[in-house]
Amino acid sequence: MKDVAVVGVGMHPWGKFKDKTLNGMCRVAVEAALSDAGIAWRDVQALAAASSRFSGGKGWGLNGNDIVEEMGMTGIPVYNLSAGCAAGANAFNVGYSLVAGGVYDMVMVAGGEKMPKGFIQTSGVADTTDPEYVRQLCVGMPGPGFWALLTRRRMAEYGTTEEQLAKVAVKAHQCGKHNENARFRQEFTLKQVLESAVVSDPLRLYEICPVSDGAAAVLLCSAEAARKLTTEPVWVAGSAVATASFSDGITRGVGGMSPPGNTHHSEAKLAVAKAFEQAGLGPSDIDFVELQDNTVYYELAFPEEWGLCQPGEAESLLEAGETMPDGKLPINPSGGFLCFGEATTAQGLFQICELTWQLRGQSGPRQVPDAKVGLCQTLGLGGNGAAAVLKR
Amino acid sequence: MTDKAVPVIEGLFSDTAEGPRLLGSRCAACGTPYFPSSAVCHNPECSDSRIEEAFFGPGGTLWSCALQNYPPPPPARYDEPYEPYLLGMVDMDEGLRVMARINAADITAVEIGSRVELELDTLCKGGEGEDVITWKFKVVQP
Ligand SMILES: [Zn+2]
Repeated sequence: MKDVAVVGVGMHPWGKFKDKTLNGMCRVAVEAALSDAGIAWRDVQALAAASSRFSGGKGWGLNGNDIVEEMGMTGIPVYNLSAGCAAGANAFNVGYSLVAGGVYDMVMVAGGEKMPKGFIQTSGVADTTDPEYVRQLCVGMPGPGFWALLTRRRMAEYGTTEEQLAKVAVKAHQCGKHNENARFRQEFTLKQVLESAVVSDPLRLYEICPVSDGAAAVLLCSAEAARKLTTEPVWVAGSAVATASFSDGITRGVGGMSPPGNTHHSEAKLAVAKAFEQAGLGPSDIDFVELQDNTVYYELAFPEEWGLCQPGEAESLLEAGETMPDGKLPINPSGGFLCFGEATTAQGLFQICELTWQLRGQSGPRQVPDAKVGLCQTLGLGGNGAAAVLKR
Repeated sequence: MTDKAVPVIEGLFSDTAEGPRLLGSRCAACGTPYFPSSAVCHNPECSDSRIEEAFFGPGGTLWSCALQNYPPPPPARYDEPYEPYLLGMVDMDEGLRVMARINAADITAVEIGSRVELELDTLCKGGEGEDVITWKFKVVQP
């Protein structure tokens, strides 16, 4: 396998942009990544793109073809990758694999999304053989309700308080207020979070990420190509995707087996473990992590599930300020999904942008001091997990 | 339940002589329970898929619960005006973990670890005034 470098990253800010087109937003992100790397669109040899079910792609998830039409039809191969909310990270993994395998020297990875208003409908088909459809029809358990179940279980197991849940949101906004690409840049007090509307008891409005519009792009290249472009590339130490394992304790449809212990989110755990293994690094080697915080629960549960801290330790790390950018285990210095909102298929790539800026020392007031190694993770419907380890 | 009642989806549950049961299957080789029923065993460790019909219920233990405070997006169904309902994940005594609504006055009346019991109950009214039935659990012992 060849070494792979990130030489350009770019984003269109996250928000709600009624008057902008998805193609126009993707162009902003792709042009920013090209200009960051100092190359032209015609130099790109292939495009790996996140497929969306909410916007663009001609309704077929052909979002990469939209981008090629928008940027200029150079005849390059396009890979459209679908993995629910992990699609951007899945596309990153395919782009990485193509460069690492020596197929191409210069690959663009892109994802853009304009989300519908309000709470999203998770199942895209009216088909009683689709477990997600059956769950929503027979029970009616949208994302926040499901996250609330997990949260209440954690509260019972570890004594997590509503105040601690709210503190995760407070901390997220203390970071995100410094991020010019974030949608929500104001600080919230603990009182404001605790007084926000209950969406799904015990979770409140400011503890759950809304849906956003956004786009992000990442330019990957071989070590030889990187040397011509920069003296300080960021390296992909590990990139992995995984799917959920059969023994996972989280029922994907309406029924499954009840395994012992907390064997949850195996797709995320497997992807993180594979990315670490590929990098030859472990939890103690990373300086910060960008993880998928659809809700505050995940910022407490994920670090424990991946061995970044001990089970039940997350709350005390949070309260001691150790998850802030200058702490022992910085989590989501970008502000995370809570400050960005979820532009589902672009999320995995906004994380790569943040890791790159952090590793270059370009993150300003939210900078993790002397960041050398970063981990990022997303997961999506269907049991899709993805993770990457980047280093300088 | 009125005379006119239809299941939300056919073949997922039944009001048997012994009481309400979920209709699923189980692999006789590895013991894995399936709900809804599966034609083959999906356990990658199992090389001898032997699927048998299985009935699940009525007893279980509440793994966790939450409140659905806002009206869920389609295809979820509910009657107007919307009334928040309780969501639960239940570990049934047969080794099946199942998602369901929980019948209880409110969330403070339910505790994780409570014993619960399967019941077939109205999800909402259908287009012709019929009761649309789904599976739920009620708390029998807090
Ligand atoms: Zn089996």
